Amino acid sequence: MTIAKPDVALNEVERREGIERLVARNGHIKDLNMDPVTRIAGALAVHVTADLEKGVYLDSHAQATLFRGYEVILMGRDPRDAIFVSSRACGVCGGVHAHAAAYAIESAMGICPPPLGTVVRNMTEAAEMGYDNPLHLYLLAGPDYCEAVIKASNPELWPKAESWPCPNADIHGFKTMAELMTALNPLTGNLYREGLEFTRLSREMVVLLTGKYPHPENVVPGGVSTTLTLQTLNEFHSRLGKIFDYAQRMLAVWDDIPAFFYEADDRYQLVGYLPTNHIDPGYWDDPYAYDATYENCNSWGEKRWSTPGVVIGGELVTTRLTDINIGWEEFVEHSYYDASHTSRYETDPLGNPLSPYHSWNKRTLPKPGARDWKDKYTWACAPRWDRQVVEAGCYSRLLMTAKAQKMPASDFMSATGSSMRLLIPKGETGEREVEWHAPERWNAFERNRGRAYHYLFSQLVALESLLEAYKLMKQGEKRVAALNPTELEKAIPMDERRSVGWWGAGRGWLTHHLVMDKGKITNYQICTPSTINASPRDPWGQPGPYEQAVMNTPIIEDVSDPSKFTSIDMLRGIRSFDPCMPCTTHAYTGDGEVVREVNTCSCGGD
Amino acid sequence: MADRQTRTPTQVDKTPAEELLDALGPVDRYHDYEYFGDFGMPARAMMEDLVVGATHPGRFGPLDKVHAFWFAGASCDGCSVAVTGGTTPSLESMLLGAHPGIPKVVLHHPVLNMEAGAHYLRPAEQAVLGELDAPYVVILEGSIMDEVAAWRAGGYWSAQGEEPWGPEGELRPVSATEWIARLAPNAAAMMAIGTCATWGGIPAAEGNPTGAMSLMDFLGKDYRSVLGVPVVNVPGCPPIGDNFNETVAAILYFLQGFGPLPEFDELGRPAWLFGETVHRRCVRGAYYEEGAFAQEFGDPECLVEIGCWGPVVNCNITSRGMINHVGGCMNAGGACIGCTMPGFPDKFTPFYKRPPGSLASTTVSRMVGSVIRPLRKFSNNNLNREVRWDRQHATPSAFSRKRPGRRHWPTSVTSSTTRCAARATPRATTLTSGASATRPPAAAAPTPASDPDRSPRRCVSKPSRSSSTRTAPPHCAAASPTRTT
Repeated sequence: MTIAKPDVALNEVERREGIERLVARNGHIKDLNMDPVTRIAGALAVHVTADLEKGVYLDSHAQATLFRGYEVILMGRDPRDAIFVSSRACGVCGGVHAHAAAYAIESAMGICPPPLGTVVRNMTEAAEMGYDNPLHLYLLAGPDYCEAVIKASNPELWPKAESWPCPNADIHGFKTMAELMTALNPLTGNLYREGLEFTRLSREMVVLLTGKYPHPENVVPGGVSTTLTLQTLNEFHSRLGKIFDYAQRMLAVWDDIPAFFYEADDRYQLVGYLPTNHIDPGYWDDPYAYDATYENCNSWGEKRWSTPGVVIGGELVTTRLTDINIGWEEFVEHSYYDASHTSRYETDPLGNPLSPYHSWNKRTLPKPGARDWKDKYTWACAPRWDRQVVEAGCYSRLLMTAKAQKMPASDFMSATGSSMRLLIPKGETGEREVEWHAPERWNAFERNRGRAYHYLFSQLVALESLLEAYKLMKQGEKRVAALNPTELEKAIPMDERRSVGWWGAGRGWLTHHLVMDKGKITNYQICTPSTINASPRDPWGQPGPYEQAVMNTPIIEDVSDPSKFTSIDMLRGIRSFDPCMPCTTHAYTGDGEVVREVNTCSCGGD
Repeated sequence: MADRQTRTPTQVDKTPAEELLDALGPVDRYHDYEYFGDFGMPARAMMEDLVVGATHPGRFGPLDKVHAFWFAGASCDGCSVAVTGGTTPSLESMLLGAHPGIPKVVLHHPVLNMEAGAHYLRPAEQAVLGELDAPYVVILEGSIMDEVAAWRAGGYWSAQGEEPWGPEGELRPVSATEWIARLAPNAAAMMAIGTCATWGGIPAAEGNPTGAMSLMDFLGKDYRSVLGVPVVNVPGCPPIGDNFNETVAAILYFLQGFGPLPEFDELGRPAWLFGETVHRRCVRGAYYEEGAFAQEFGDPECLVEIGCWGPVVNCNITSRGMINHVGGCMNAGGACIGCTMPGFPDKFTPFYKRPPGSLASTTVSRMVGSVIRPLRKFSNNNLNREVRWDRQHATPSAFSRKRPGRRHWPTSVTSSTTRCAARATPRATTLTSGASATRPPAAAAPTPASDPDRSPRRCVSKPSRSSSTRTAPPHCAAASPTRTT
C-alpha cells in the first residue's frame, strides 16, 4: 500500500493554482457547506479539496474558529489567579489547565508540593482521563461506527457486519459486529449508555477530591486543599474497583472494530494516517522525585508514570524535558495574530539556546481578519518541535512510555520497548494481562484503540496512586500543601521569574509558560494538544496534523452518486484525534471535484 | 477593541443585539439543501430520526414537541460536559422522553448530534425563517463577544457555520452571537447556562480583548420571549448539571400543566436553587458557628480564612453535590471563589486570600465559639456513654484501653476519630487499669516523626477538632466527664 503524502515541495501558491485549474477543468462547481461538524468540542474548520473520481483529498486547511483571550486576561494579574482563570480554558477534560498552571506557578516560586499533594493530583488527573476517554469513544467517535451511520454511509459493510463473528465476543458479549454496531447507536445503544454511565462514575471519583468538575476547586499553588480522610480514599477505591471489568470490555470493543474494518477494506489503514511523529511532556509525577525545579526536570520528568519524549519517524529521539522545551516554537504566519515573537530570552535558565518563537518569547496579539488561505485563516498557531510537525494524543503517552522503558516499577504496568504490558486487576471477572503494541501505522482506528488502552493505563495509575495515598496515610502523613495561604502570599517573588508547567490533557500534551515580574504575570502562554493538532501551515509550508491526516485519507465510501457523498472517512479521521472543538465544514463540489471546509471550534484558539 | 462595549460610560439606546443586527443587515438567502445531498452525514439519520421509535406521545400538556438550540459563545464546553453528567433528570432520559410530563425534546447540540454541517443548522435556519414545526428554546453556553468590533476588522471571534449572508450572497462565517440575535425575538425562552453566559464570566474579566458580555446584557433589560419570559439564568462555572436539567424539566412540567410555576429571582435564577447562600447548607458551617477555622489547606474546619466566600454567595453545591450528590466545593476542601456570582471573577481575586469582610464576623464567632465549644464537648462526652457504663464505672470497649506490649491498630491510623480516641484513652486508662499515660499514644506514635511542626498544634491547640466527633463511635467516649470526676 502506498501512502499519499502531501507534497510540501509545492508552495502554497502553486498548490492553489493547481487545484483551481483542476476545478475549472471539471466544469460546474457546486457549493456545499458542512458547518458545523458535530461530535467534537469547541470550534475548528477544515477546508478540503477532494477529487471524488480518484478518491483522494487534494488539499486541506484546518481553522480554529474561536478566540477567547485567556492569556491576555491573565496579563498583569496575581500569579495565584492563573490556576482558576486558566482552568476555564477547557471544560472537557477539566482540571488539566488548573494543574498545569499550578506546576508553572510552583516552578516560578520555588514551591514543591508534599508527596501527598502530588499523589492526590495524580489520582484526580487519572480519574479525569477516566471520564474523558469513554466520553470521546462512545459519545463523540463511537457513533461514526454505529449501525445508523454504517447503514447511511457505508451500506456495503452492513451485510459483512451481520455475518462477522467478533473475536472478543466472550468478553464484550456481542456475537457479531452488527450487534456491536447497534450497541454503539446514540442514546439507545447499550455501549453508548454504558459509556455515559461510566463517565459519571469517574466524575464522582474526581469530585470526591476536587469538589467540582470540570473545573476543580482544590488546586492550590504548592499542592491541593482537599480534606483527605479515610472515607475519601475508600469511596474513591470502591468506584475505581468497578472500572477494571469495564476496561476489559472496552478494550475488547476497540480491538474488534479495527480488525473488522481492516479486513473489510485494506484502505481503512490510511484513514487519518500520519507518520509516527509524536510529542508528549509526560504525566503524573513521582511524588518523591518531583521538586518543582527546572534544573532537575530531566531527572524528575523521566520518573513520571508516563515518560516525556519525542518520537520522530518512529524513533525515540529524547526523553529530556529540556530538549522538549528548547525545541519548541510557535508560528503565527497563518493565524489571526500580529507577529508575536521577541528576543527577550536568548537562553533557558540552564543556558540552552531559545528561539525568538519560543513560548517564553511569544506574545498573544489577537487580530481578527478575513480568511485567506495564502495568508491568515485560523485562530490556532503553528507549534513545531525542532521545526517538525508532531502529533499529540493521550495514546502518545503509551508510545513514549513503551519506547523509553523508564517507567517506575509497577505490579500492573511494564514497558517492553515496543509495547505496554498491562495487568487488569480482578473484578467480577478474573485478572487478565493485555498488551498494547505500538502500531506500525497511526490512523483513525489505532488512535481510538490507543485511547481505549490509555483508559486502562490511566486507571492503573489511579490504582497505584491510591495505594500510595493509603501508604502515606498509614505513615501518618497529612500535609497536602506546602504553604498555608499567609505563607503563600509572602512567597510571591518580586523579581523576574519564568517557568513552565509540563502536564497532560485528555488529548495529550499541555504546557503553560509563565513569565512574572514584580509579583504579577507579565506573559502567559498556553499550548494545548488541539493547538498542535489543528495547527495551520508553518512558514515552510508544512501542513499541520489534521491537514496532513485529511490529505492522507482515501475516500472509501461509495461516491458513484456524488449526492450520496457523506465524507464519513474524513470525519472518522478528524474525530479520531478527539478535537477539543465544535466544527464546521464548507464544501464546493463539481463533477468529481470537491472543495470544502470543515469548521470546528477549538480550545486550540487560546 | 474591548473598550467599545465594556467601557461605554452611558447606556445607549440600542441593545448590543440590535446594534449587531444593524451592522450585519437583514438576511434573505438560505442554503439550497438539494445541493448538499448527504454531505455532512447523515441526512437519513438525523438525531431526531434515531430516537423517534423511543418517544411516545404523552398524556399531559399542550406541547408535543419542543426544539432546543444549543449555542456556544466564548465557552469551554464545560457546561455541556456538566449537563451530560446530570441525573435528575439525565439528558438521555429527557431526550428519550423517559418522564411523564416531558414533551419530545429535539436537541440541536454541536457536541452530541449525529448530523453535521448544513443539515445540522437547517432547523436553526427554519427558526429564523419562522418555519420551524414546533416552538423552540435557545440555550447559550459561553459569553457573547463583541462581534461588531470583529466584523469591522473583517473577521470574527467565534463562528458556528457559514450561511449565504454575505453582501452578494456569498458564504460567510456566522457567529454564535449572530444566531442568538436572530433567534431571540421568536424564542419561547432564552436560557443562559453557566457563568459566562449568565454574567460574562472569565471571558469578560478585566483586560479581556473580546468585549465579552452576558446574554442578558446582550439582549437588553427589556427582553421578553414570545411567552413573556425574560432570560433564564442558571449560573455556575461550571454549573451543577442537575441545576440546569432540573430547571429545564421544571419549565416543561409547568408548560404541560404537570408542575407548579417555577419561580425565578430578580436576576432570572431559579429561586428554589439559588435563594440561599452556599454557606447556609455548608457541611462546614457549624465550624464557623463554633469559631473553628482552617489555617492550612486540607484542614477540616470552616474555610473562610483561607479564601472562602461562601457566606455571601448564592449557590447550592454543598447540599446538592456536583454529581449524584457527590462532591461539592467545601465538602471536599475547596474554598468558594464565587463562581456562580455576577461579580465573578474580578470581585473575588486574588484567590486564596480571606475575603476582607470576614475579619469582623470570624472574630465574633471565635469569641462565641470559645464559650459554646467546651459546653458542647461536655454534653457530647456525656451522651457518648451508656447509662449502664456510668453505673458500673466501666470502660466501654478495648478500643479505649492501651494494652501493654501491644500496639493496637488505631494508633497507626490518623483519622480525626483516632485522634479523638487517643486523647480519650489515657484518662480512661488511668481509671480502669491504673496506667499513667500522660500523652495521647496516637499523637505520640506517628505524627512527630512525619510532621514535627504540625503535630502539637493539631493535637493540642486546636481543641475544636473534637467537634468532628459529633457522631463519635463508642470508643471515643472513654473520657466521659462523669467518669473522670
